[in-house]
Amino acid sequence: MATVPPVATEPASLGTSRPTRSPASVVAGLTARAASRSGAVWGAVFGIAVAASAVSYTTLYTSETQRRALAAAYGANHATTALFGPAPELDTVAGFTAFKVSMSLMVLGAVWGLLTTTRLLRGEEDEGRWELLLAGRTTMRRATVRALAGLGVGVVVLWTLTAAGTVLAGRDAKVAIAPGPACFFALAMVATAAMFVGVGGVTSQLAGTRRQAAAWAATALGIAYAVRLVADAGVGLHGLIWLSPLGWVEELGALTDPRPVALLPIAVFTGFLVTVTAALAGRRDIGASVVADHDRSRPRLALLSRPAGLAVRLARPTVLAWWTAITVSGLLYGMIARSAGATITGSSVHQVFTRLGATGTGAGAVLGVCFLVLGVLVAFVAAGQLTAARGEEASGRLDNLLVRPVSPGGWLGGRVGIAVGALLVAGVLGGVAAWVGAASQHAGVRIGAVVLAGVNLVPPAVVILGLGVLVLGVAPRATSGVVYGYLAWSLLVLVVGGIGATSHWVLDTSVFHQMAAAPAVPVDWTANAVMVGVAAVLGGTGVLAFRRRDLAGA
Amino acid sequence: MAADDTPVLATRGLTKRYRGTEALVDLDLEVAAGEVVGYLGPNGAGKTTTIRLLLGLIRPTSGTAQVFGLDCRRDAVAVHRRLAYVGGEASLWPGLTGAETLHLLGRVQGQVDDAYRDELVERFALDPGKKVRAYSKGNRQKLILIAALMTRADLLVLDEPTSGLDPLMEQAFRLSIHEARDRGQTVFLSSHILSEVEALCDRVGILRAGRLVEMGTMAELRHLSALTVEATFAGTVPDLGAVPGVTAVSLDGRTVRCQVRGSVEPLLRVLADSGVTGLLSREPSLEELFLARYGAGADPDPVTRGDGASRGD
Repeated sequence: MATVPPVATEPASLGTSRPTRSPASVVAGLTARAASRSGAVWGAVFGIAVAASAVSYTTLYTSETQRRALAAAYGANHATTALFGPAPELDTVAGFTAFKVSMSLMVLGAVWGLLTTTRLLRGEEDEGRWELLLAGRTTMRRATVRALAGLGVGVVVLWTLTAAGTVLAGRDAKVAIAPGPACFFALAMVATAAMFVGVGGVTSQLAGTRRQAAAWAATALGIAYAVRLVADAGVGLHGLIWLSPLGWVEELGALTDPRPVALLPIAVFTGFLVTVTAALAGRRDIGASVVADHDRSRPRLALLSRPAGLAVRLARPTVLAWWTAITVSGLLYGMIARSAGATITGSSVHQVFTRLGATGTGAGAVLGVCFLVLGVLVAFVAAGQLTAARGEEASGRLDNLLVRPVSPGGWLGGRVGIAVGALLVAGVLGGVAAWVGAASQHAGVRIGAVVLAGVNLVPPAVVILGLGVLVLGVAPRATSGVVYGYLAWSLLVLVVGGIGATSHWVLDTSVFHQMAAAPAVPVDWTANAVMVGVAAVLGGTGVLAFRRRDLAGA
Repeated sequence: MAADDTPVLATRGLTKRYRGTEALVDLDLEVAAGEVVGYLGPNGAGKTTTIRLLLGLIRPTSGTAQVFGLDCRRDAVAVHRRLAYVGGEASLWPGLTGAETLHLLGRVQGQVDDAYRDELVERFALDPGKKVRAYSKGNRQKLILIAALMTRADLLVLDEPTSGLDPLMEQAFRLSIHEARDRGQTVFLSSHILSEVEALCDRVGILRAGRLVEMGTMAELRHLSALTVEATFAGTVPDLGAVPGVTAVSLDGRTVRCQVRGSVEPLLRVLADSGVTGLLSREPSLEELFLARYGAGADPDPVTRGDGASRGD
């Protein structure tokens, strides 16, 4: 008989449990911790973006003449106002900073709010963790309210870091933004985050899955953006601005013409959404949704013969949503290209466009800059596909395939192939839609050039994909953090680089900086080939590493 | 099927360490074609680690693991064509229906006995039209059980396969395993339900702290353990404490209870000379054997701890 070694009997310390702490408080604490963590990361990005914009303006636009030229170019341009919001007082640091970062941060704040909320409410419920908590002394309604309170802590963290960046930049004598206005500006920048925590809260009650809840909340954001765009387009419908949460933030006039009264609809709307979320949570069973979910369906077997088919089926709703967003964005960009291009007369605007790589004038130059934004959207498709692949492994669902005659390398290679296909379609759709929009306004843009500009969006996204596969292969648990972190970094460098305040070494770290701003300039096929090559090496190494390592759970 | 002299499953010195923690140490194991082998051990003993090594999902730190004579990691795809696996946690795609899941897993496996699948769906009372997210834990478990059994694979690797099943479904599972054995399929069953292992398995291995501490048929395992004997005497009760192999002697009136290891002959001789009016003896159950191996190793005579099987944790 084998000799049995003694089993370790020294128990690890489990800490002291506090019997007075109710499950609802535990929910609040856990949610606050998770929301604060991501709020801190995003808040740091927000703070740096604001500070970098403010400081770089003072170094770029040193003379009054330059500043007035910038204001003249953008101040009355309805096309750029429709896209990026109004641009008052562009001849001041405060005005430029507000114009430069507002729309990006408002949209990113809303995306943070809806993603974090649906993850921590419906996502946690999907994973079955809420059942454990609700078995204790609490109710669904109470736990949901506490979770929303925890998310509120995350919003406060987001605001604190954004405000810190703005206040610190404001201390620079050339920037000279007082702490009060700086904090109010930071409040405006995170207002969308607070409101979309509420939106995500409601959709988490309405929808049956986290993905559905996030998709519905994202649709609400898209509608809010579209309504604001129409209101700002200079077509006599500015009154619509009061129908969009993004419009209310715009009406706050932070840093230029502060109107705190616009906080009222923001506070009322957020409070209303929190109340509705709590009421709906109290009315439903755990795991159930307010909108009846179909628990049965006829078998749809067409794609379910191979792992690749399954991947297509699973990715389809998300990818279709991204394709729609890219198509609509491309269409809108195309529609404004001609009028925006016609008003680019100031040398300063030309300078900004040139720094972004979009040399030239007219509709082509405008589309060159707009396609950088489309490039970011396409890169998000790549990042989403990677986190989905990692999710299959972390949840254990991948085991079902790999215990059958499916090789790990083949599975991952198939996922990557599908993702590349989705990126290509996204690029072409963006290009075609932009051409349709431009053609409707007789912008005189050639379809071939714009479609190629769409294809040109794919290589940076493929680099993100390659990097992600590498991380998935060597450090799977870091996949999401590294991919989205690098994407955020690249985006930040793009924003800051656009105003010319960064060294060439830093600029080169952004994947978007490697992309030619087509159709303003010709597509740089050499750069694209290098990017695809780098992606292939990274991705190939990642697949090899994935084949060699153990599967890793969550 | 593997050649007659090639074990279906064989490990040599199989070891897995996680950052200094020994999950599995020097496992030598062989399972012949057509055998049903039980694999027991407390939580964290290394059962699931063993199975994940056999499936090639994780790499051994040292040693080898072969299935059908092929390396579990290098030849995983070829190995997986001939085996089916069921885990204790059914993690499936929530948006797919049961029918879609069975179709997918069957097509990926490459072989399905359609008639048997339909029979299993009926036997396990599964509603295949429902989406996975609407299934209870037990129903999700039934789904992956059916997905494995319907392939009629040469080797079934089952890791706590009846987790969450009710007693009726447990019976359906046992019937299915009997059918698999009758067809010549090999079964490697890790379970906490000792009565299940006792009822189904030809041989049983007991794992503790990453090491295989017992391996044998039920008869062999029982032979290694104590037999409980209860004797009632008409007159004077003899001193049994001095009889070779006898331990744990207790007296209740004229009735003596004791345990015997090894040969019972010395005890029988003493009893025959002492006017015995009643004699009861009982072999240890698998639970008692398990507890004897697992129960901290401090109790040399664990056989009197009770009988009957129960669900472990």
